[in-house]
Amino acid sequence: MSALVEIENLRVAFRNDDGGYNDAVRGVSLTLGREKLGIVGESGSGKSLTGRALLGVLPPYARISVDTMAFDGIDLKSASPKLRRSLRGGRMGMILQDPKFSLNPVMTVGKQIVEAIRIGDRRISGSDARKKALGILEAVHIREPERVFSLYPHELSGGMGQRVMIGMMVVREPDLLIADEPTSALDVTVRTQVLSILDELVTRRGMGLIFISHDLNLVSKFCDRVIVMYAGRIVESIEASRLSEATHPYTRGLLSCLPQIDGSLEPLPVLNRDASWAGAA
Amino acid sequence: MSVTPDLVADPKRAVRAARWAEFKIFTRRFMRNPLGVVGLVIVVLLLFCAAFAPLLATHDPYLPSLTDRLAAPSATYWLGADELGRDIYSRILYGSQLTLLIVGLVIVTSAPIGLIIGAVSGTVGGWVDVIFMRITDVFLAIPKLLLALAFVAALGPGITNAALAITLTAWPPYARLARAEALIVRNSDYVNAVRLAGASEFRIIVFHVIPMCLSSVIVRMTFDMAGIILTAAGLGFIGLGAQPPLPEWGAMISTGRKFIFDQWWVATVPGIAIFTVSLGFNLLGDALRDLLDPHLRQRK
Amino acid sequence: MLSIQHLNVEFSGKLAVRDTSFSVEPGESFGLVGESGSGKSTILRTVMGLNANWNGSISVDGLDVRKTPRKQLAKVVQMVFQDPYSSLHPRYVIGQQIAEPMKINGIANPERRTAELLELIGLGAKFQFRFPHELSGGQRQRVAIARALALNPKLLLLDEPTSALDVSIQAEILNLLNRLRKELGLTFVIVSHDLAVISYMCERLMVMRNAQPVETLTREQLRSGAIAEDYTKALIAAA
Repeated sequence: MSALVEIENLRVAFRNDDGGYNDAVRGVSLTLGREKLGIVGESGSGKSLTGRALLGVLPPYARISVDTMAFDGIDLKSASPKLRRSLRGGRMGMILQDPKFSLNPVMTVGKQIVEAIRIGDRRISGSDARKKALGILEAVHIREPERVFSLYPHELSGGMGQRVMIGMMVVREPDLLIADEPTSALDVTVRTQVLSILDELVTRRGMGLIFISHDLNLVSKFCDRVIVMYAGRIVESIEASRLSEATHPYTRGLLSCLPQIDGSLEPLPVLNRDASWAGAA
Repeated sequence: MSVTPDLVADPKRAVRAARWAEFKIFTRRFMRNPLGVVGLVIVVLLLFCAAFAPLLATHDPYLPSLTDRLAAPSATYWLGADELGRDIYSRILYGSQLTLLIVGLVIVTSAPIGLIIGAVSGTVGGWVDVIFMRITDVFLAIPKLLLALAFVAALGPGITNAALAITLTAWPPYARLARAEALIVRNSDYVNAVRLAGASEFRIIVFHVIPMCLSSVIVRMTFDMAGIILTAAGLGFIGLGAQPPLPEWGAMISTGRKFIFDQWWVATVPGIAIFTVSLGFNLLGDALRDLLDPHLRQRK
Repeated sequence: MLSIQHLNVEFSGKLAVRDTSFSVEPGESFGLVGESGSGKSTILRTVMGLNANWNGSISVDGLDVRKTPRKQLAKVVQMVFQDPYSSLHPRYVIGQQIAEPMKINGIANPERRTAELLELIGLGAKFQFRFPHELSGGQRQRVAIARALALNPKLLLLDEPTSALDVSIQAEILNLLNRLRKELGLTFVIVSHDLAVISYMCERLMVMRNAQPVETLTREQLRSGAIAEDYTKALIAAA
């Protein structure tokens, strides 16, 4: 069975003020089957850019180079913009961090989901689309789908908004879902709820999931495999269940610098960043 | 505390050096915008012409030469002569001084007035805000040219009166702009932090709010300059701005109007001058806005 | 050091804090934990005088905040804000921003004290002439702490001091705060949604939910599981 996603030697660079280029992603390679993969890193590690490069939604001033980038056998590197656009939303979806900023504030939630449905199937009738939208709202465990259908994004709580976002992205049954910090803006009690919905959808529909986060503990509990990124490179790739056996000092540092409720009260071990982690430029 | 830090000998100079370094980065980014550079070049050209008009002019702009009335562009009269035989090229050069004078007078008075009114209004709020903004509304409700016309008609024609009239119509947008920025800034954490240290509202307005309003105001100023030139030209055209024999570009178009079919250069050349200078200011303003506008800039 | 009795705060039309009372001893570190909308940040801002619509009583080091002039209060209690990217003025260099509270209050030799503070928070005097946008999030938060310490307050209010920072930077800042508390004998009130952070930093804490206090407990109680309220248990489980 071919991998769902195959990336080899991805490089993303941005122009800086001096006219040179800053490398943000430096030689990232990964494969993904129909599993949950977590990409963990701090700000500036390049994790979000990797996800966006795969989806093809990097800003035009970004310079991308990659040896191989394939989705379900389709070569994305040489794909036309039209093909990439048709894949996006249809077979590849993305959930962003804050539903406040990723939902259109002047359209009702229902209308937005219907619009997403319509993009995939132009001939679907209005009532069928509406039924499908209500169905997906139920699938994300929204209790009164009819009522929520006609609400505006600002009338939703954070958790509900994120569930709507997830619904919108999975309504066309994509094969791949990229979630970029989907629970970072949510309260802890809501977080578990949203994650369980995500888990349910992914396993039931057999989707591949790339879960991008800064929270190593969260990712290790939720995903099957974990990739740790630092300064644009992958420093560790390990099964989530075996995270405690991680070897790279950065990963170990990340694991140990978090305060724990039942942990020691000594000064927290501080990460001593080694230049060698960033590797050769 | 027993730690003895190495104190910098001249902190003020170090701060100035830091600001200068920021300015150089800004200039480098500006230079990457070709249209902005074009605009800057035009503006610099205008300043150059105004400064060196006596050296660059070929003739006396006021001396009539009735034998050469309406002469076509030639080796003697580079851009032709007007209805009194005066060299148009030289008049354009001297006219640039007048243009700069009007623009300078208006900007230097209207922007600060608007900025202060808006910043105070936005920061203090309450009835101060209401009163200031209603006054602003009154001035904004009347079309600018009409208001300027009314003032000039009341005050009498002349270049300084024209500048004053335009100022009275130009300050309200700055007030609105500054107020909008002030409303955002006054609740920001950095202003609250200083408030918590005991800063007076005066200190907050002058040192914290106004610096943040400056970017928008500067951008607006460059766009306004084009508008001011056109308004002044408009007033001059009607005869209420600069009075003859002053070589104000708008007045030149007005007198050249009569000859536009046969001696097109009399009206067209000052028109091109106005067009070019307005364009220059607009291009400069566009480039500055791309660099300065806090809403367009990416968060660092 | 801080005593709050029956505090009710109204914010944009609704009651953001309802009948809340607690007190903090000098030298103690007290935590306020809760989710968004629980009212914890509102309490801090009200103590600092950034909210006007409240009733109840708040006293800091024996001073009634309603009756004490701002400058006097500023020398006793200061605040560190959540977002390091917006708590520093973009147009002034760091040194000027740290020195400003001192200049406002007429403290002698602000330059020397600025350099001392920069050393204290681990940045060094040469950072005086950098602009905020040249610093990382962690560095900015250190500067915010230095600025809060400029007037030598006894009580420091910290509103989610590390929420906007990376995990490794959070560790550095938390270590710094603990060190400062010991060295300068400060009292802390820390607000966070992260129970692990509060448990690490605070000896006592109060859980808040929907504008009301749920329970107040000590670190030992938290660790041993001697918890009365189900909501608190849910927070621990989700942490």
